[in-house]
Amino acid sequence: MKKILNDPQDYVDDMLEGLCLAHPELQRRGDGGRVVARRGGPASGKVGIATGGGSGHLPVFLGYVGDGLLDSCAVGNVFAGPRMDDCIEAMRAADGGVGVLQLYGNYGGDRMNFEMAAEMLELEGMATASVRVTDDVASAPADQIAKRRGVAGLVLVYKAAGAKAAGGASLAEVAALAQKANDACRSIGVALTPCIIPESGQASFTIAPDEVEFGMGIHGEPGLWRGPLKTADALAGEMLDHVLPELALARGDRVAVLVNSLGATPAEELYILYRRVAAVLDGQGITVVRPLVGRYATSMEMAGASLSVMRLDAELEALLAAPAQCPFWSVR
Amino acid sequence: MHVDPTTLAGAVPRWCEAMHAAAPELNALDGRLGDADLGATLDKCATLMAQAMPELPDTLEGVFKRLAQASSKASGSSFGTLLTVALMTAAKRCAGVPSLDRMAVAGMLEAVIQTLSARGGASLGDKTVLDGLQAIHLALNAASDHDDGGEVARQGMQEALNAFRDKPNRIGRARMFADKTIGMDDPGMVALQRMAEAI
Repeated sequence: MKKILNDPQDYVDDMLEGLCLAHPELQRRGDGGRVVARRGGPASGKVGIATGGGSGHLPVFLGYVGDGLLDSCAVGNVFAGPRMDDCIEAMRAADGGVGVLQLYGNYGGDRMNFEMAAEMLELEGMATASVRVTDDVASAPADQIAKRRGVAGLVLVYKAAGAKAAGGASLAEVAALAQKANDACRSIGVALTPCIIPESGQASFTIAPDEVEFGMGIHGEPGLWRGPLKTADALAGEMLDHVLPELALARGDRVAVLVNSLGATPAEELYILYRRVAAVLDGQGITVVRPLVGRYATSMEMAGASLSVMRLDAELEALLAAPAQCPFWSVR
Repeated sequence: MHVDPTTLAGAVPRWCEAMHAAAPELNALDGRLGDADLGATLDKCATLMAQAMPELPDTLEGVFKRLAQASSKASGSSFGTLLTVALMTAAKRCAGVPSLDRMAVAGMLEAVIQTLSARGGASLGDKTVLDGLQAIHLALNAASDHDDGGEVARQGMQEALNAFRDKPNRIGRARMFADKTIGMDDPGMVALQRMAEAI
């Protein structure tokens, strides 16, 4: 293992300490400091949005705590869900008195801990709602869509739901919007090299130097196929073939597109990928609004990329354009 | 088979040691199917449980509850959470109970299976840790009072591993490549086997 760290067991806490020093608008909370929240506390009268998940994916999940986005995040160990106590603390940190939406990726550990947290806080009278993001088309077939995992599409759903909450919507309205945004979003990823989990010191999987894993999950879970690496244009075309059909787009439709690095893949290669994505969509008469190309949801040093497409209506387009500010991203 | 607060507390260090030792194997097994954190998760649970040893209460309910608290502090990973839920279920079942015999342990396992299925979403037959627990539950039910309960559990677990090895995983990310999981042991079941061997 060749990583910049101190004790591998301190990887997450050392990272959180540095991140909050660099971004004083964020603060750590909870008995172990495993909750990140806005320093000013929840905005009174605004629906709070709490997220959570394992570490190792920055800027996801905690990097999207900020104005017009999320209120808090429960932080787990690398690739492991957050603890129930931290989910509870994150929801308290997001509570502005009019309810809290849990908005997170659909993973077993995350789901169990957030569900138990909601049960505890509902006993105290907190109004809660829950939306799990399920944009990864490679993680379950279309007829089992509720079982799919959440990947980079989370970022677009965070943005839309955060803007809706900032606009003063009710808990039910924010939850419905988050669900609508999730239902309109599909993603798929390709991986070229693995990443190493600090606590184990081992690569999460092995892959030959000339191979690509198509459809790989954000933790290195096996994908749909593995074979020789193809050209960027061929990969982009096949990724679109998996992402677009379920969105049932027609000429004249508008979409948000996110071409995301899984960590090690440089911006140059993301733009090579985006070039083809944009050309294919243009050829189908589909307009790309506010394309995002960069590092938005990673697996530490994994090389690879993901493509997310969200079908927009007027409401979603306006919400994605609304002002927002967090450590890793700002929209003006 | 006789489990009281002293024998239960006495098994904790052995369990912790076994989880530390099994961590690399479980990480590697999990890496073939999922996110490769199973060993690291149980390693963290074992560290916090070992730290709790000096302050373990003297009732079964108390010991299980304290272990559940340690597990819940250690990890929110899916297997860590299931371990916490299982220990909480055991604590509730043991309220006011001074000791457990073979049938009481079997009955407790049945309750744990039901709770884990409801919380985690897996069913029997999905090739998960639930199938291992079910095998131990059935083996204890079928054993006699003269049998060594620990040995019965280990044999039941081994038979479950053998029975499920050539079946596909039906839940979690592994369901997308279920055919590739044929011939592979489920990491959660292997973890349970290592636990049964230790205690």
